[in-house]
Amino acid sequence: MKVLVLNCGSSSLKYQLFDTEKQFAMAKGLVDRIGMSGSVLTHKPFDRPQAVVAGEVLDHIQAIDFVIGMLLSPNHGVISDKAEINAVGHRVVHGGERFTDSVLITADLMGELRDLISLAPLHNPHNIRGITAATKSLPNVPQVAVFDTAFHHLMPPHAYIYGIPYLLYKKYSIRRYGFHGTSHQYVARKAAETLGTPIEKLKIITCHLGNGASMTAVDGGVSVDTSMGFTPLEGLLMGTRTGDCDPAIILHIMAQEEIGLHEANTLLNKHSGLYGISGLSSDMREITKAAGEGNVNAKLALDIYCYRVKKYIGSYMAAMGGLDALVFTAGVGENSVDVRRLSCMGLDCFGITVDDEKNKGHKPGIGIISPDGAKVKVMVIPTNEELVIAQETERIIQSAKAGV
Amino acid sequence: MAAHRIYIVGAGVMGTGIAETVALTGTEVILLDRSDDLAQKGCQRIAENMDREIERWGLTKSDKKAVMSRIKTGSDLNILKEAEMVIEAIPDRLDLKKELFAEFDGICPPETILVTNTSTLSISEIASATNRPQKVIGMHFLNPVPKIQLVEIVRGLKTSEATFNYIKEFAGSINKTPIQVYEYPGYVTTRIIVPMLNEAMHVLMEGISTAEDIDTAMKLGFGFNVGPLALADMMGLDEVMAWMENLLAELSEHKYNPCPLLRKMVRAGHLGVKTGEGFFKYDAEGNRIKSDVTTGDKA
Repeated sequence: MKVLVLNCGSSSLKYQLFDTEKQFAMAKGLVDRIGMSGSVLTHKPFDRPQAVVAGEVLDHIQAIDFVIGMLLSPNHGVISDKAEINAVGHRVVHGGERFTDSVLITADLMGELRDLISLAPLHNPHNIRGITAATKSLPNVPQVAVFDTAFHHLMPPHAYIYGIPYLLYKKYSIRRYGFHGTSHQYVARKAAETLGTPIEKLKIITCHLGNGASMTAVDGGVSVDTSMGFTPLEGLLMGTRTGDCDPAIILHIMAQEEIGLHEANTLLNKHSGLYGISGLSSDMREITKAAGEGNVNAKLALDIYCYRVKKYIGSYMAAMGGLDALVFTAGVGENSVDVRRLSCMGLDCFGITVDDEKNKGHKPGIGIISPDGAKVKVMVIPTNEELVIAQETERIIQSAKAGV
Repeated sequence: MAAHRIYIVGAGVMGTGIAETVALTGTEVILLDRSDDLAQKGCQRIAENMDREIERWGLTKSDKKAVMSRIKTGSDLNILKEAEMVIEAIPDRLDLKKELFAEFDGICPPETILVTNTSTLSISEIASATNRPQKVIGMHFLNPVPKIQLVEIVRGLKTSEATFNYIKEFAGSINKTPIQVYEYPGYVTTRIIVPMLNEAMHVLMEGISTAEDIDTAMKLGFGFNVGPLALADMMGLDEVMAWMENLLAELSEHKYNPCPLLRKMVRAGHLGVKTGEGFFKYDAEGNRIKSDVTTGDKA
């Protein structure tokens, strides 16, 4: 099956055309600056060089038409007929409590998706815009929504209920949802596959360390706890987000600085994290470099980042009563030797050790960086959210067909 | 669907505030004024305003970069022949606005919607300078535009339903909450707030309380973010007086008579924040100098 995987942002659209039989991306790319002048489409077919095309793209409908045009193009294309696209899979950030699994999109369902906007006002509206646009551009092609939150839906209530009045959970659905679900699910399964042990028998902690970062305790293949909460702000320190933070602090700052809700929100989400502490950058590569050159605040930011990862490793080991594999993934997790080393430092008593040579020598791809025979396998596994979305899309469409 | 490029004529405080607000939501802005230099200065004002917001945690440097990249400036009105919608934000003078709208009417295609940003003037009269009164409408933004959620959409006598709906959708797309107002002097906001400020000045003039205490009373007693006298200072006392006089002229009611203390302060050039002194004193950055309260020069 050929699945077009779409991830729509406010003014961008990322895409990949997947062949699910062969499990590979025939082409991938990005449309940037949608609705502005100087829109750019960057397109990379698997077997030819990258193509960059500028044009006017006023909305997501035009963007998708642009993408389809590229996929069909004689020079850069990978298919010869629009009808070869069997399905469209959409990344949708928030599924709320309503969507615990990927779903086939219908007109009725769109209303329910819109109801969730209040839970994820920054992401869901753009995801919905992408779905509407794809429905117009590819009217007879089935579409599936795959949710970032779905993998976490089996968390027990003691992991997802906050210590606020229960009434507020009932009234506003305020609870831990967790994010990066497709990524955590993918790398946990890959880890089990690599270790040759059924996932049902494994206790795994997955660390998705990217621009946003979260960790998940995966017990027997099920997410039993995760560090992001009601929004993607909770948990680990991130590029520009605070992660865990005493909620009274923000009330105090609002009073001291005489700022309102909007400013407070921006302060926590955009001015904090690695960037806020170092005053330098939100990019871990720059932070590690500056820390190595003796920048005190960059060093502090790096230390806080890794200490937070370490604390979550400990707490999730306790939550699951043990650990078989610790997995690092996403930009920082896959590439930062220092972050992997510092996060695991001093955990030998728990059976977690990183072999310095293996860690430094790790090449892109799947690798084990703990010493041979170590109790806990420390692994690096590149994530592939698009592949999961393509596979989920195929699964949902086939089960829908079987149902008919 | 709202226009993907908004043309704003007038790069003063209101025009730049609207430009920043629109650009922040991802839409491109063409900001025009009488000369390239004035339009460029407007752009500079937006940059400075955004720097202050970054310091107050409200925006990030990348927000500023994105906004500045979306704003182009110029002075040639002929560019308006490509416009789906034009927002005029020049000083609130009827003669100037009518002249400009006649010019818009000659340049813009017949379907272009023409918006005037005015706080008191008659939309119907401004529209009468054009051949498309059904496509002329008012949007009364409040200063500072990026921070105030409200916009009054003002319908002239001949403004069409389609034009109103288009502008209502546009207001939503730039994250403002619109209210619908039928043309009448002062609309809702000015009509209610300005007499209240005037009344606060009477209370001060009659020696009933101090400026500080009057503001405290209204802030703590009624949940105002800013007291009436500080608000008058922020708006500019000359502006407040002009609004009162406009309401008086239009509605001929004694209650719209500007307070004698207001007249006196305007004559003395104590216009509020912009001159460094009004009911309170301000430094060059416009920050209130605490503890140094003028009592408004008793009558």
